[in-house]
Amino acid sequence: MRYGQLREPAFGVARSVQYAPQTLRKVTGCPLPTMAPYAAMDETHISIEQVSFSRGDRLIFDGISMEIPRGRITAIMGPSGTGKTTLLRLIGGQLVPDSGRVLVNGLEVASLSRRRLYELRKRMGMLFQSGALLTDLSVFENVAFPLREHSRMPEDMIRDMVLMKLQAVGLRGATELMPAELSGGMARRVALARSIVLDPEMIMYDEPFTGLDPITMGTIVTLIKRLNRALGITSLLVSHDVEETLSIADHVILISAGKVVEAGLPAELAASASPWVQQFIQGLPDGPVPFHYPAPDPLEQFLGGDHA
Amino acid sequence: MRTSRTQEIWVGIFVALGMLALFVLALRVSNYSSYTNGNQYHVYVYFENIGGLKVRSPVTLSGVTVGRVTSIDYDPDSLQAKVELGIEEKYNFLSTDTAASIYTAGLLGEQYIALEPGAEDETLAEGDEIIHSQSAMVLEELIGQFLVKMSSK
Amino acid sequence: MLDLFAGLGAATLSALQRTGRGFIFLLRTLAGVPLLLARPGLLVKELFSTGVQSLLIILVSGLFVGMVLGLQGYVTLSKFGAEESLGVMVALSLVRELGPVVTALLFAGRAGSALTAEIGLMKSTEQLSGMEMMAVDPIHRVIAPRLTAGFIAMPILAALFSAVGILGGYLVGVGLLGVDAGSFMSQMQAGVDWRIDVLNGVIKSIAFGFVVTWIAVFEGYDAVPTSEGVSQATTRTVVHSALAVLALDFVLTGLMFT
Repeated sequence: MRYGQLREPAFGVARSVQYAPQTLRKVTGCPLPTMAPYAAMDETHISIEQVSFSRGDRLIFDGISMEIPRGRITAIMGPSGTGKTTLLRLIGGQLVPDSGRVLVNGLEVASLSRRRLYELRKRMGMLFQSGALLTDLSVFENVAFPLREHSRMPEDMIRDMVLMKLQAVGLRGATELMPAELSGGMARRVALARSIVLDPEMIMYDEPFTGLDPITMGTIVTLIKRLNRALGITSLLVSHDVEETLSIADHVILISAGKVVEAGLPAELAASASPWVQQFIQGLPDGPVPFHYPAPDPLEQFLGGDHA
Repeated sequence: MRTSRTQEIWVGIFVALGMLALFVLALRVSNYSSYTNGNQYHVYVYFENIGGLKVRSPVTLSGVTVGRVTSIDYDPDSLQAKVELGIEEKYNFLSTDTAASIYTAGLLGEQYIALEPGAEDETLAEGDEIIHSQSAMVLEELIGQFLVKMSSK
Repeated sequence: MLDLFAGLGAATLSALQRTGRGFIFLLRTLAGVPLLLARPGLLVKELFSTGVQSLLIILVSGLFVGMVLGLQGYVTLSKFGAEESLGVMVALSLVRELGPVVTALLFAGRAGSALTAEIGLMKSTEQLSGMEMMAVDPIHRVIAPRLTAGFIAMPILAALFSAVGILGGYLVGVGLLGVDAGSFMSQMQAGVDWRIDVLNGVIKSIAFGFVVTWIAVFEGYDAVPTSEGVSQATTRTVVHSALAVLALDFVLTGLMFT
């Protein structure tokens, strides 16, 4: 997909998503470095091929396939419990698919040796829903953690790196706080600073918008967008917050019941004729996805007398 | 990640305390100080009956502990018990005709070997044998002898 | 009836599976221990929280256990006119049995449960998972230093317990009940053997420290990552540690002192 096409109101939907470089510069406040990330944008970074995965008796993915382009923001959306987080763990190599392949940079994650997997993970950032900050370390030490574990940098260099990344998320003043003293939004920003401290080539965001107040949510949206545009980091976003996600994603994949339901540009999705997609995007309580959990006939259950 | 200085100090104190405790247990509570394995010489002595003598039972000279029993074996040639004594190097003046007897500390206490120096000029050295020995008194035998004497009167 | 057998079978299988996981976990942890040489700071931190922070309870309990031994021993021994043997009795009971065993039980309650809860909470808050995604093996970074620290701290704590306990026995026996100080000490020194009693006691405490810490870190790592799961794991740590220590004590005593 070339971005030139995106500006055409081809689908008749007036979403406020614009990709013109001039607008971007205004939004992010960062100069666009080069067009290099865009030049490579059609290249596949992560590809998921016919992956099946089940947890216990429950089939979570049933031969799912998708491709995630390099340098773009891809959003994976779907109702709760459709295994969006599981998908991220499959990509990160924390889970192994029952069948099918997960390829990152053309390497099959599940077949990598432990050492190679760890090498790969150093180039992956992951932002957990909870932040997953180490509770016994201060904000500074949390951000410094990957550096201390993986490099033998001198102390003053670590300090500069950490302060730089904290500055990027606006928390340079919070270095000495402990994770318990942070609000949910601050914790997520610290976690974001930590996940970019090794300058990864991709970041996976697990439900980055859940449980935040509107201001913090706006901050996180801006940060995700800025990181992607400024550094060309492949961003994989898992969420069910429709509006925020559609506002920043370049590419959206909707999954449900272990399958890809719909994939495309945000605008394409909004215009989709599928009643399921419409129900999800507009947040309608009833539709193809029923309001009621499967239950016996109400008449029978309410009036049935004995509960046998 | 660095540890704070107070933590380091406390851990240092902790380890030092532990060593001190082990030191106390070894030197003040147990008989570690009587372990002087390095400078011992060994002599052998044969007994008809060693009674309740055990390895590590004390060997005394006029009541002073000068060594320990280091091994106990049965010698099929002489049909006697062969006891090896480890005696501290500084008691190297025991004459070759020293006598060894097995006594009991108290009426029912542990058994030990008492040495009595003789008159020879030559002294015992590593691997020598003590010829004069007196076996352990076995309480049952004593009572038996006593009863025999009583009934024969 | 068939259900009964099925239940028994399932329980046996899951217990076996757990044991297997525990051993694999242990091997992976031990593989991470040499890496600690490069990062002694991690070990110092854990020694502080398992060792130093257990000091108070160990010292106080040791003192009281020793004092009780002194009182009880005196009452019994004085019936046979053997009050002078109070020193041996107190010292042997402490060095051989009570020191290692009671310390291990207290250690399981104080440090073991804290370890399980800490690791279980780290798991439930995705901290362990987060480390994995940062290409840091949590078994090497989190578990190995804790296991090593427990392994080192336990014999030290047990030795302190015994030493303080003997002091307590001495205070009660000599100070309070009027046993002769000289015969208390000399009988004790004559009766307690360095190798058979003291060293074996130390070996016991090392074994207990290893088992208790292993159980604690494994329970934490294997906990169901919910608040209920963590609390159950913590309880299991204390119960399993206590049972393991007592059973192991029986085996070790059988091997050492017969």
